[in-house]
Amino acid sequence: MGGVQPLPGSFRDPSGNVYQLDGRILRTVNECFSRDFDFVTSTGLFKTLATEGLLLPFEVVSSDVLGLSDPKPRYVLETPRLPFISYPYEWSFPALKAAALLHLRIHLQSLEAGVTLSDASAYNIQFQGHQPVFIDHLSFRRYLSGEMWVGHRQFCEQFLNPLLLRAFFGISHNAWYRGTQEGISTGEIRKLLKWRHCWKWNVLSHVVLQDLFQKTSTKNTKSLQDHSLAQASFPLSSFKAMLEKMFHWISQLTPLNKGESTWGDYDKTCSYSSTEIQSKKQFILEFAQTVQPGLIWDFGCNTGEYSEAALNGGARNVVGFDFDQGALDGSYRRAVERRLSFQALFMDAANPSPNQGWNGHERESLQSRASADAILALALVHHLAIARNIPLVQVVNWLIALAPQGVIEFVPKNDPMVQELLSLRQDIFPDYTAEHFIALLEKKAVIIKNEIVSKSGRVLVWFKRK
Amino acid sequence: MKHLGGFLAISITLIVFGFENSAQAYLDPGTGSMVLQLLLGGIAGAVVILKLYWRRFVGLFRGNAREESEHSSSEDQK
Repeated sequence: MGGVQPLPGSFRDPSGNVYQLDGRILRTVNECFSRDFDFVTSTGLFKTLATEGLLLPFEVVSSDVLGLSDPKPRYVLETPRLPFISYPYEWSFPALKAAALLHLRIHLQSLEAGVTLSDASAYNIQFQGHQPVFIDHLSFRRYLSGEMWVGHRQFCEQFLNPLLLRAFFGISHNAWYRGTQEGISTGEIRKLLKWRHCWKWNVLSHVVLQDLFQKTSTKNTKSLQDHSLAQASFPLSSFKAMLEKMFHWISQLTPLNKGESTWGDYDKTCSYSSTEIQSKKQFILEFAQTVQPGLIWDFGCNTGEYSEAALNGGARNVVGFDFDQGALDGSYRRAVERRLSFQALFMDAANPSPNQGWNGHERESLQSRASADAILALALVHHLAIARNIPLVQVVNWLIALAPQGVIEFVPKNDPMVQELLSLRQDIFPDYTAEHFIALLEKKAVIIKNEIVSKSGRVLVWFKRK
Repeated sequence: MKHLGGFLAISITLIVFGFENSAQAYLDPGTGSMVLQLLLGGIAGAVVILKLYWRRFVGLFRGNAREESEHSSSEDQK
Protein backbone atom coordinates (compact mmCIF):
# COMPACT_ATOMS: atom_id res chain seq x y z
CA MET A 1 0.00 0.00 0.00
CA GLY A 2 3.03 2.26 -0.23
CA GLY A 3 3.31 5.24 -2.55
CA VAL A 4 0.90 8.00 -3.31
CA GLN A 5 -2.76 7.30 -2.50
CA PRO A 6 -5.85 8.78 -4.19
CA LEU A 7 -7.92 11.27 -2.22
CA PRO A 8 -10.39 9.43 0.03
CA GLY A 9 -13.44 10.65 -1.91
CA SER A 10 -12.06 9.52 -5.26
CA PHE A 11 -12.84 5.84 -5.69
CA ARG A 12 -16.19 5.40 -7.40
CA ASP A 13 -15.31 5.89 -11.04
CA PRO A 14 -12.83 3.35 -12.48
CA SER A 15 -11.93 5.87 -15.21
CA GLY A 16 -9.38 7.54 -12.94
CA ASN A 17 -8.61 9.03 -9.54
CA VAL A 18 -7.61 12.31 -7.96
CA TYR A 19 -4.32 12.70 -6.09
CA GLN A 20 -2.73 15.41 -4.07
CA LEU A 21 1.04 15.63 -4.36
CA ASP A 22 3.07 18.41 -2.78
CA GLY A 23 0.09 20.72 -2.92
CA ARG A 24 -0.62 19.90 -6.58
CA ILE A 25 -3.96 18.43 -7.65
CA LEU A 26 -3.48 15.62 -10.17
CA ARG A 27 -6.10 13.50 -11.89
CA THR A 28 -5.25 10.22 -13.57
CA VAL A 29 -6.96 8.99 -16.74
CA ASN A 30 -6.83 5.21 -16.85
CA GLU A 31 -6.32 3.20 -20.01
CA CYS A 32 -9.94 1.97 -19.95
CA PHE A 33 -11.17 5.55 -20.36
CA SER A 34 -8.50 6.93 -22.67
CA ARG A 35 -10.50 6.47 -25.91
CA ASP A 36 -13.39 8.50 -24.51
CA PHE A 37 -11.00 11.10 -23.13
CA ASP A 38 -9.24 11.39 -26.51
CA PHE A 39 -12.57 11.76 -28.26
CA VAL A 40 -13.81 14.51 -25.93
CA THR A 41 -10.49 16.32 -26.26
CA SER A 42 -10.73 16.12 -30.07
CA THR A 43 -14.14 17.85 -30.01
CA GLY A 44 -12.62 20.93 -28.36
CA LEU A 45 -15.30 20.80 -25.67
CA PHE A 46 -12.86 20.90 -22.75
CA LYS A 47 -11.25 24.08 -24.07
CA THR A 48 -14.57 25.75 -24.84
CA LEU A 49 -16.02 25.03 -21.41
CA ALA A 50 -12.82 26.06 -19.64
CA THR A 51 -12.65 29.31 -21.60
CA GLU A 52 -16.24 30.09 -20.59
CA GLY A 53 -15.30 29.45 -16.96
CA LEU A 54 -17.69 26.51 -16.67
CA LEU A 55 -15.03 23.80 -16.33
CA LEU A 56 -11.81 23.78 -14.37
CA PRO A 57 -8.95 24.02 -16.89
CA PHE A 58 -6.24 21.35 -16.92
CA GLU A 59 -2.82 20.63 -18.33
CA VAL A 60 -1.60 17.21 -19.32
CA VAL A 61 1.61 16.52 -17.39
CA SER A 62 4.02 13.59 -17.39
CA SER A 63 2.22 10.33 -16.63
CA ASP A 64 5.19 9.38 -14.43
CA VAL A 65 4.70 12.28 -12.04
CA LEU A 66 2.82 10.14 -9.54
CA GLY A 67 5.13 7.15 -9.89
CA LEU A 68 2.17 4.83 -10.50
CA SER A 69 2.92 1.62 -12.35
CA ASP A 70 0.12 -0.82 -11.60
CA PRO A 71 -1.79 0.29 -13.50
CA LYS A 72 0.14 3.10 -15.10
CA PRO A 73 -2.24 5.92 -15.97
CA ARG A 74 -2.65 6.80 -19.65
CA TYR A 75 -2.65 10.49 -18.82
CA VAL A 76 -2.17 12.66 -15.75
CA LEU A 77 -3.98 16.00 -15.67
CA GLU A 78 -3.04 18.85 -13.38
CA THR A 79 -5.78 21.26 -12.38
CA PRO A 80 -5.55 24.49 -10.41
CA ARG A 81 -5.96 24.09 -6.69
CA LEU A 82 -9.21 25.57 -5.41
CA PRO A 83 -9.01 27.65 -2.23
CA PHE A 84 -11.70 25.60 -0.52
CA ILE A 85 -13.67 22.41 -1.18
CA SER A 86 -17.31 22.50 -0.15
CA TYR A 87 -20.08 19.93 -0.26
CA PRO A 88 -23.68 20.24 -1.47
CA TYR A 89 -24.98 19.71 2.06
CA GLU A 90 -23.20 22.93 3.00
CA TRP A 91 -24.51 24.99 0.08
CA SER A 92 -27.38 27.44 0.32
CA PHE A 93 -30.47 27.12 -1.84
CA PRO A 94 -29.28 29.63 -4.47
CA ALA A 95 -25.84 27.97 -4.60
CA LEU A 96 -27.35 24.50 -5.11
CA LYS A 97 -29.61 25.98 -7.76
CA ALA A 98 -26.66 27.62 -9.56
CA ALA A 99 -24.79 24.30 -9.45
CA ALA A 100 -27.81 22.44 -10.88
CA LEU A 101 -28.15 24.93 -13.71
CA LEU A 102 -24.42 24.71 -14.45
CA HIS A 103 -24.65 20.94 -14.67
CA LEU A 104 -27.58 21.11 -17.11
CA ARG A 105 -25.95 23.83 -19.19
CA ILE A 106 -22.75 21.81 -19.53
CA HIS A 107 -24.70 18.68 -20.44
CA LEU A 108 -26.64 20.51 -23.14
CA GLN A 109 -23.47 22.03 -24.54
CA SER A 110 -21.78 18.62 -24.45
CA LEU A 111 -24.56 16.95 -26.43
CA GLU A 112 -24.09 19.53 -29.17
CA ALA A 113 -20.48 18.32 -29.41
CA GLY A 114 -21.47 14.64 -29.43
CA VAL A 115 -20.49 14.19 -25.79
CA THR A 116 -22.57 13.21 -22.77
CA LEU A 117 -22.05 13.17 -19.01
CA SER A 118 -21.76 9.79 -17.35
CA ASP A 119 -23.18 10.92 -14.01
CA ALA A 120 -24.81 13.85 -12.26
CA SER A 121 -23.03 14.03 -8.94
CA ALA A 122 -23.30 17.38 -7.17
CA TYR A 123 -19.85 16.68 -5.73
CA ASN A 124 -18.47 17.23 -9.26
CA ILE A 125 -19.16 20.93 -8.82
CA GLN A 126 -17.19 23.34 -6.67
CA PHE A 127 -17.39 27.06 -6.13
CA GLN A 128 -14.91 29.81 -6.82
CA GLY A 129 -16.51 32.53 -4.75
CA HIS A 130 -20.14 32.44 -5.84
CA GLN A 131 -19.31 30.96 -9.27
CA PRO A 132 -19.91 27.24 -9.66
CA VAL A 133 -17.35 25.34 -11.73
CA PHE A 134 -17.38 21.73 -12.95
CA ILE A 135 -14.32 19.83 -11.78
CA ASP A 136 -14.64 16.25 -13.03
CA HIS A 137 -13.10 15.84 -16.49
CA LEU A 138 -13.79 12.13 -16.46
CA SER A 139 -17.56 12.60 -16.42
CA PHE A 140 -17.39 13.47 -20.12
CA ARG A 141 -17.61 10.65 -22.65
CA ARG A 142 -18.73 10.02 -26.20
CA TYR A 143 -22.50 10.14 -26.71
CA LEU A 144 -23.89 7.01 -28.29
CA SER A 145 -26.92 7.36 -30.48
CA GLY A 146 -30.15 6.62 -28.64
CA GLU A 147 -28.70 6.44 -25.14
CA MET A 148 -30.54 7.76 -22.13
CA TRP A 149 -29.74 10.41 -19.56
CA VAL A 150 -27.91 7.99 -17.31
CA GLY A 151 -27.50 10.52 -14.51
CA HIS A 152 -31.17 11.55 -14.40
CA ARG A 153 -31.98 9.72 -11.17
CA GLN A 154 -28.82 11.02 -9.53
CA PHE A 155 -29.58 14.54 -10.74
CA CYS A 156 -33.03 14.35 -9.16
CA GLU A 157 -31.64 13.06 -5.87
CA GLN A 158 -28.69 15.40 -5.60
CA PHE A 159 -30.09 18.60 -7.12
CA LEU A 160 -33.80 18.62 -7.89
CA ASN A 161 -35.33 17.00 -4.81
CA PRO A 162 -33.29 19.05 -2.28
CA LEU A 163 -34.36 22.21 -4.12
CA LEU A 164 -38.00 21.12 -4.11
CA LEU A 165 -37.83 20.60 -0.36
CA ARG A 166 -37.26 24.31 0.19
CA ALA A 167 -39.32 25.51 -2.79
CA PHE A 168 -42.43 23.52 -1.82
CA PHE A 169 -42.16 23.22 1.94
CA GLY A 170 -39.74 25.94 3.09
CA ILE A 171 -37.41 23.30 4.59
CA SER A 172 -33.70 23.60 3.88
CA HIS A 173 -31.96 20.56 2.43
CA ASN A 174 -28.75 20.79 4.46
CA ALA A 175 -29.36 18.56 7.49
CA TRP A 176 -31.11 15.86 5.46
CA TYR A 177 -28.47 15.95 2.73
CA ARG A 178 -25.65 15.74 5.26
CA GLY A 179 -27.31 12.68 6.74
CA THR A 180 -27.71 10.78 3.48
CA GLN A 181 -24.74 12.32 1.61
CA GLU A 182 -26.39 11.31 -1.67
CA GLY A 183 -29.21 13.82 -1.56
CA ILE A 184 -32.92 13.15 -1.12
CA SER A 185 -34.46 10.13 -2.78
CA THR A 186 -37.39 10.57 -5.11
CA GLY A 187 -39.43 8.14 -3.02
CA GLU A 188 -39.00 10.28 0.07
CA ILE A 189 -39.82 13.60 -1.60
CA ARG A 190 -42.90 12.03 -3.20
CA LYS A 191 -44.24 11.05 0.23
CA LEU A 192 -44.26 14.72 1.19
CA LEU A 193 -46.10 15.96 -1.89
CA LYS A 194 -49.70 17.15 -1.71
CA TRP A 195 -52.18 16.80 -4.55
CA ARG A 196 -51.76 20.49 -5.35
CA HIS A 197 -48.09 19.83 -6.25
CA CYS A 198 -48.76 16.82 -8.44
CA TRP A 199 -50.85 18.29 -11.21
CA LYS A 200 -47.84 20.04 -12.69
CA TRP A 201 -46.25 17.92 -15.40
CA ASN A 202 -42.69 18.39 -14.13
CA VAL A 203 -43.59 17.14 -10.67
CA LEU A 204 -45.77 14.39 -12.04
CA SER A 205 -43.07 13.08 -14.36
CA HIS A 206 -39.78 13.59 -12.48
CA VAL A 207 -41.11 12.77 -9.03
CA VAL A 208 -44.41 10.87 -9.06
CA LEU A 209 -44.01 8.77 -12.18
CA GLN A 210 -40.31 8.15 -11.68
CA ASP A 211 -40.97 6.83 -8.20
CA LEU A 212 -43.97 4.85 -9.33
CA PHE A 213 -41.99 3.26 -12.15
CA GLN A 214 -39.08 2.58 -9.84
CA LYS A 215 -41.26 0.76 -7.34
CA THR A 216 -43.36 -1.16 -9.80
CA SER A 217 -40.47 -2.02 -12.09
CA THR A 218 -38.46 -3.29 -9.12
CA LYS A 219 -41.25 -5.81 -8.59
CA ASN A 220 -41.18 -6.66 -12.27
CA THR A 221 -37.43 -6.66 -12.72
CA LYS A 222 -37.36 -9.93 -14.59
CA SER A 223 -39.97 -8.75 -17.02
CA LEU A 224 -38.02 -5.54 -17.64
CA GLN A 225 -34.78 -7.44 -18.12
CA ASP A 226 -36.48 -9.69 -20.60
CA HIS A 227 -37.33 -6.66 -22.64
CA SER A 228 -33.80 -5.24 -22.63
CA LEU A 229 -34.45 -2.01 -20.78
CA ALA A 230 -30.72 -1.33 -20.70
CA GLN A 231 -30.68 -1.43 -24.51
CA ALA A 232 -33.70 0.80 -25.01
CA SER A 233 -33.46 3.86 -27.21
CA PHE A 234 -34.10 7.47 -26.24
CA PRO A 235 -34.17 10.00 -29.07
CA LEU A 236 -31.56 12.74 -28.87
CA SER A 237 -34.27 15.38 -29.39
CA SER A 238 -36.14 14.04 -26.34
CA PHE A 239 -32.90 13.96 -24.33
CA LYS A 240 -32.20 17.62 -25.10
CA ALA A 241 -35.82 18.60 -24.49
CA MET A 242 -35.69 16.87 -21.10
CA LEU A 243 -32.56 18.79 -20.10
CA GLU A 244 -33.95 22.09 -21.40
CA LYS A 245 -37.25 21.66 -19.56
CA MET A 246 -35.42 20.73 -16.38
CA PHE A 247 -33.24 23.84 -16.79
CA HIS A 248 -36.31 26.04 -17.25
CA TRP A 249 -38.08 24.51 -14.27
CA ILE A 250 -35.13 24.80 -11.89
CA SER A 251 -34.36 28.36 -12.98
CA GLN A 252 -37.84 29.32 -11.78
CA LEU A 253 -37.66 27.64 -8.36
CA THR A 254 -37.56 30.01 -5.40
CA PRO A 255 -37.55 29.27 -1.67
CA LEU A 256 -40.85 29.17 0.12
CA ASN A 257 -40.24 31.36 3.12
CA LYS A 258 -42.59 30.42 5.88
CA GLY A 259 -41.99 33.11 8.48
CA GLU A 260 -39.20 35.60 8.56
CA SER A 261 -35.58 34.57 8.81
CA THR A 262 -34.07 35.31 12.22
CA TRP A 263 -30.80 36.68 10.93
CA GLY A 264 -31.45 37.59 7.29
CA ASP A 265 -32.16 41.18 8.29
CA TYR A 266 -29.61 41.30 11.08
CA ASP A 267 -27.70 44.14 9.47
CA LYS A 268 -30.93 46.16 9.77
CA THR A 269 -32.15 44.88 13.16
CA CYS A 270 -28.92 44.50 15.18
CA SER A 271 -28.16 46.62 18.21
CA TYR A 272 -25.42 48.58 16.44
CA SER A 273 -25.61 52.18 15.33
CA SER A 274 -24.28 53.07 11.88
CA THR A 275 -21.12 54.65 13.35
CA GLU A 276 -20.50 51.52 15.39
CA ILE A 277 -20.86 49.41 12.25
CA GLN A 278 -18.37 51.65 10.48
CA SER A 279 -15.80 51.35 13.25
CA LYS A 280 -16.23 47.57 13.26
CA LYS A 281 -15.74 47.46 9.48
CA GLN A 282 -12.68 49.68 9.80
CA PHE A 283 -11.19 47.28 12.35
CA ILE A 284 -11.69 44.29 10.00
CA LEU A 285 -10.35 46.28 7.05
CA GLU A 286 -7.18 47.15 8.92
CA PHE A 287 -6.75 43.54 10.05
CA ALA A 288 -7.05 42.24 6.47
CA GLN A 289 -4.75 44.96 5.13
CA THR A 290 -2.07 43.98 7.60
CA VAL A 291 -2.39 40.19 7.44
CA GLN A 292 -3.27 39.84 3.71
CA PRO A 293 -4.80 36.38 4.23
CA GLY A 294 -5.33 33.99 1.33
CA LEU A 295 -8.35 32.40 2.99
CA ILE A 296 -10.51 33.71 5.82
CA TRP A 297 -13.20 31.68 7.55
CA ASP A 298 -15.97 33.94 8.78
CA PHE A 299 -18.03 32.11 11.41
CA GLY A 300 -21.49 33.56 11.84
CA CYS A 301 -21.01 35.51 8.63
CA ASN A 302 -24.63 36.64 8.41
CA THR A 303 -25.15 38.40 5.08
CA GLY A 304 -21.41 38.86 4.60
CA GLU A 305 -21.06 42.53 5.47
CA TYR A 306 -17.79 42.02 7.32
CA SER A 307 -16.58 39.34 4.91
CA GLU A 308 -16.82 42.03 2.28
CA ALA A 309 -14.86 44.42 4.50
CA ALA A 310 -12.11 41.79 4.79
CA LEU A 311 -12.05 41.34 1.00
CA ASN A 312 -11.85 45.10 0.57
CA GLY A 313 -8.89 45.05 2.92
CA GLY A 314 -6.99 42.54 0.79
CA ALA A 315 -8.15 39.06 1.79
CA ARG A 316 -8.17 36.94 -1.36
CA ASN A 317 -11.00 34.54 -0.43
CA VAL A 318 -13.58 34.43 2.31
CA VAL A 319 -15.66 31.38 3.19
CA GLY A 320 -18.47 32.31 5.53
CA PHE A 321 -20.52 29.99 7.72
CA ASP A 322 -23.99 30.50 9.10
CA PHE A 323 -26.99 28.32 9.90
CA ASP A 324 -29.68 30.82 9.02
CA GLN A 325 -31.10 30.34 5.53
CA GLY A 326 -32.07 33.99 5.17
CA ALA A 327 -28.52 35.05 6.02
CA LEU A 328 -27.09 32.53 3.53
CA ASP A 329 -29.44 33.68 0.77
CA GLY A 330 -28.45 37.27 1.53
CA SER A 331 -24.76 36.35 1.43
CA TYR A 332 -25.18 34.72 -1.95
CA ARG A 333 -26.96 37.82 -3.29
CA ARG A 334 -24.19 40.04 -1.95
CA ALA A 335 -21.46 37.88 -3.53
CA VAL A 336 -23.21 37.84 -6.92
CA GLU A 337 -24.13 41.53 -6.98
CA ARG A 338 -20.69 42.73 -5.89
CA ARG A 339 -18.74 39.92 -7.61
CA LEU A 340 -16.99 38.94 -4.42
CA SER A 341 -14.71 35.99 -3.87
CA PHE A 342 -17.04 35.04 -1.06
CA GLN A 343 -18.91 31.81 -0.50
CA ALA A 344 -21.34 31.38 2.40
CA LEU A 345 -21.97 27.85 3.62
CA PHE A 346 -24.48 26.26 5.95
CA MET A 347 -22.72 25.33 9.16
CA ASP A 348 -23.69 25.26 12.79
CA ALA A 349 -20.50 26.19 14.65
CA ALA A 350 -21.57 23.86 17.48
CA ASN A 351 -21.90 20.98 15.02
CA PRO A 352 -19.54 21.53 12.06
CA SER A 353 -19.35 19.11 9.11
CA PRO A 354 -17.74 15.86 10.25
CA ASN A 355 -15.61 13.25 8.51
CA GLN A 356 -18.15 10.89 7.00
CA GLY A 357 -19.07 8.58 4.17
CA TRP A 358 -17.25 5.44 3.11
CA ASN A 359 -14.67 4.41 5.65
CA GLY A 360 -15.41 7.61 7.55
CA HIS A 361 -13.28 9.68 5.19
CA GLU A 362 -15.08 10.07 1.90
CA ARG A 363 -16.20 13.59 2.83
CA GLU A 364 -13.88 15.44 5.11
CA SER A 365 -14.61 17.50 8.16
CA LEU A 366 -14.11 21.21 8.01
CA GLN A 367 -10.77 21.15 9.81
CA SER A 368 -9.26 18.19 7.97
CA ARG A 369 -10.31 19.64 4.60
CA ALA A 370 -8.41 22.89 4.75
CA SER A 371 -6.87 25.36 7.09
CA ALA A 372 -7.66 29.03 7.09
CA ASP A 373 -5.07 31.78 7.23
CA ALA A 374 -7.34 33.76 9.52
CA ILE A 375 -10.77 33.64 11.13
CA LEU A 376 -13.47 36.14 11.90
CA ALA A 377 -15.83 35.29 14.74
CA LEU A 378 -18.01 38.34 15.11
CA ALA A 379 -20.95 38.17 17.51
CA LEU A 380 -20.52 34.40 17.69
CA VAL A 381 -19.07 33.63 21.11
CA HIS A 382 -22.28 34.39 23.07
CA HIS A 383 -24.28 32.06 20.82
CA LEU A 384 -21.96 29.20 21.70
CA ALA A 385 -21.20 30.06 25.32
CA ILE A 386 -24.69 31.12 26.39
CA ALA A 387 -27.24 29.79 23.90
CA ARG A 388 -25.48 26.41 23.58
CA ASN A 389 -23.91 26.16 27.05
CA ILE A 390 -20.41 25.49 25.67
CA PRO A 391 -17.86 26.48 28.34
CA LEU A 392 -16.15 29.75 27.38
CA VAL A 393 -12.70 28.19 27.64
CA GLN A 394 -13.66 25.57 25.05
CA VAL A 395 -15.05 28.20 22.70
CA VAL A 396 -11.85 30.25 22.92
CA ASN A 397 -9.56 27.23 22.45
CA TRP A 398 -11.58 26.00 19.49
CA LEU A 399 -11.38 29.38 17.76
CA ILE A 400 -7.63 29.72 18.34
CA ALA A 401 -7.07 26.20 16.96
CA LEU A 402 -8.86 27.06 13.72
CA ALA A 403 -6.39 29.62 12.41
CA PRO A 404 -3.11 31.30 13.43
CA GLN A 405 -4.76 34.70 13.71
CA GLY A 406 -8.10 36.40 13.58
CA VAL A 407 -10.62 38.78 15.03
CA ILE A 408 -13.08 37.71 17.71
CA GLU A 409 -15.90 39.86 19.01
CA PHE A 410 -16.98 39.55 22.61
CA VAL A 411 -20.53 40.67 23.36
CA PRO A 412 -21.01 41.45 27.07
CA LYS A 413 -23.98 40.41 29.17
CA ASN A 414 -25.54 43.86 29.25
CA ASP A 415 -25.83 43.97 25.44
CA PRO A 416 -29.46 43.66 24.27
CA MET A 417 -28.67 40.60 22.14
CA VAL A 418 -27.26 38.69 25.14
CA GLN A 419 -30.09 39.95 27.35
CA GLU A 420 -32.51 38.41 24.89
CA LEU A 421 -30.71 35.06 25.15
CA LEU A 422 -30.93 35.20 28.92
CA SER A 423 -34.47 36.59 29.16
CA LEU A 424 -36.20 33.22 29.63
CA ARG A 425 -33.51 31.28 31.41
CA GLN A 426 -31.32 31.26 34.47
CA ASP A 427 -27.96 32.99 34.17
CA ILE A 428 -25.55 30.15 34.89
CA PHE A 429 -22.60 31.96 33.36
CA PRO A 430 -20.78 33.86 36.09
CA ASP A 431 -17.49 33.59 34.14
CA TYR A 432 -18.93 35.15 31.01
CA THR A 433 -17.11 38.48 31.21
CA ALA A 434 -14.84 40.41 28.86
CA GLU A 435 -11.98 40.19 31.38
CA HIS A 436 -12.24 36.42 31.66
CA PHE A 437 -12.50 36.08 27.87
CA ILE A 438 -9.32 38.15 27.36
CA ALA A 439 -7.50 36.17 30.07
CA LEU A 440 -8.40 32.86 28.37
CA LEU A 441 -7.31 34.21 25.00
CA GLU A 442 -3.97 35.43 26.35
CA LYS A 443 -3.08 31.93 27.52
CA LYS A 444 -2.74 30.77 23.93
CA ALA A 445 -2.46 33.92 21.85
CA VAL A 446 -0.99 37.37 21.74
CA ILE A 447 -3.46 40.22 21.52
CA ILE A 448 -2.38 42.57 18.77
CA LYS A 449 -5.18 45.07 19.20
CA ASN A 450 -8.51 45.38 20.95
CA GLU A 451 -11.18 48.01 20.70
CA ILE A 452 -14.57 48.68 22.21
CA VAL A 453 -16.93 49.18 19.29
CA SER A 454 -20.36 49.73 20.86
CA LYS A 455 -22.03 51.61 23.69
CA SER A 456 -22.94 48.28 25.28
CA GLY A 457 -19.23 47.44 25.49
CA ARG A 458 -18.74 44.98 22.63
CA VAL A 459 -15.03 44.31 22.20
CA LEU A 460 -13.16 43.36 19.05
CA VAL A 461 -9.96 41.45 19.69
CA TRP A 462 -7.27 40.89 17.07
CA PHE A 463 -5.26 37.86 18.18
CA LYS A 464 -2.23 35.99 16.95
CA ARG A 465 -1.67 32.42 18.10
CA LYS A 466 1.46 31.85 20.24
CA MET B 1 -52.44 3.64 -9.15
CA LYS B 2 -49.72 1.06 -8.54
CA HIS B 3 -51.30 -1.37 -11.00
CA LEU B 4 -51.47 1.44 -13.52
CA GLY B 5 -47.76 2.24 -12.99
CA GLY B 6 -46.84 -1.41 -13.43
CA PHE B 7 -48.97 -1.69 -16.53
CA LEU B 8 -47.40 1.47 -18.00
CA ALA B 9 -43.86 0.33 -17.16
CA ILE B 10 -44.29 -3.02 -18.85
CA SER B 11 -46.27 -1.58 -21.76
CA ILE B 12 -43.66 1.05 -22.54
CA THR B 13 -40.84 -1.45 -22.52
CA LEU B 14 -42.83 -3.66 -24.84
CA ILE B 15 -43.57 -0.77 -27.17
CA VAL B 16 -40.00 0.49 -27.38
CA PHE B 17 -38.05 -0.44 -30.44
CA GLY B 18 -34.91 0.67 -32.26
CA PHE B 19 -32.27 -0.50 -29.75
CA GLU B 20 -29.14 1.21 -30.96
CA ASN B 21 -26.84 1.80 -28.03
CA SER B 22 -25.06 -0.40 -25.58
CA ALA B 23 -23.46 2.21 -23.31
CA GLN B 24 -22.63 0.67 -19.97
CA ALA B 25 -22.37 3.28 -17.24
CA TYR B 26 -20.62 2.84 -13.93
CA LEU B 27 -23.68 4.46 -12.41
CA ASP B 28 -26.97 2.62 -12.02
CA PRO B 29 -29.47 4.86 -13.78
CA GLY B 30 -32.41 3.34 -11.91
CA THR B 31 -35.27 1.56 -13.60
CA GLY B 32 -37.75 4.29 -12.58
CA SER B 33 -35.74 6.94 -14.42
CA MET B 34 -35.27 4.69 -17.46
CA VAL B 35 -38.93 3.84 -17.80
CA LEU B 36 -39.79 7.52 -17.39
CA GLN B 37 -37.40 8.40 -20.20
CA LEU B 38 -38.98 5.76 -22.39
CA LEU B 39 -42.32 7.38 -21.67
CA LEU B 40 -40.96 10.87 -22.42
CA GLY B 41 -39.26 9.58 -25.55
CA GLY B 42 -42.44 7.78 -26.46
CA ILE B 43 -44.54 10.91 -26.04
CA ALA B 44 -42.08 12.92 -28.12
CA GLY B 45 -42.06 10.13 -30.70
CA ALA B 46 -45.85 9.97 -30.67
CA VAL B 47 -46.04 13.74 -31.19
CA VAL B 48 -43.67 13.49 -34.15
CA ILE B 49 -45.68 10.65 -35.62
CA LEU B 50 -48.91 12.54 -35.01
CA LYS B 51 -47.52 15.64 -36.73
CA LEU B 52 -46.28 13.56 -39.62
CA TYR B 53 -49.55 11.76 -40.10
CA TRP B 54 -51.56 14.92 -39.47
CA ARG B 55 -49.73 16.61 -42.34
CA ARG B 56 -50.34 13.61 -44.57
CA PHE B 57 -53.93 13.46 -43.41
CA VAL B 58 -54.47 17.15 -44.08
CA GLY B 59 -52.39 16.91 -47.21
CA LEU B 60 -54.68 14.20 -48.43
CA PHE B 61 -57.65 16.56 -48.37
CA ARG B 62 -55.68 19.57 -49.55
CA GLY B 63 -54.23 17.50 -52.32
CA ASN B 64 -57.67 16.24 -53.32
CA ALA B 65 -59.12 19.71 -53.09
CA ARG B 66 -56.25 21.10 -55.19
CA GLU B 67 -56.64 18.32 -57.72
CA GLU B 68 -60.37 18.92 -57.84
CA SER B 69 -59.99 22.69 -58.24
CA GLU B 70 -57.29 22.19 -60.87
CA HIS B 71 -59.57 19.73 -62.62
CA SER B 72 -62.58 22.04 -62.52
CA SER B 73 -60.57 25.07 -63.66
CA SER B 74 -59.16 23.14 -66.61
CA GLU B 75 -62.69 22.07 -67.52
CA ASP B 76 -63.83 25.70 -67.37
CA GLN B 77 -61.16 26.63 -69.84
CA LYS B 78 -62.51 24.10 -72.28
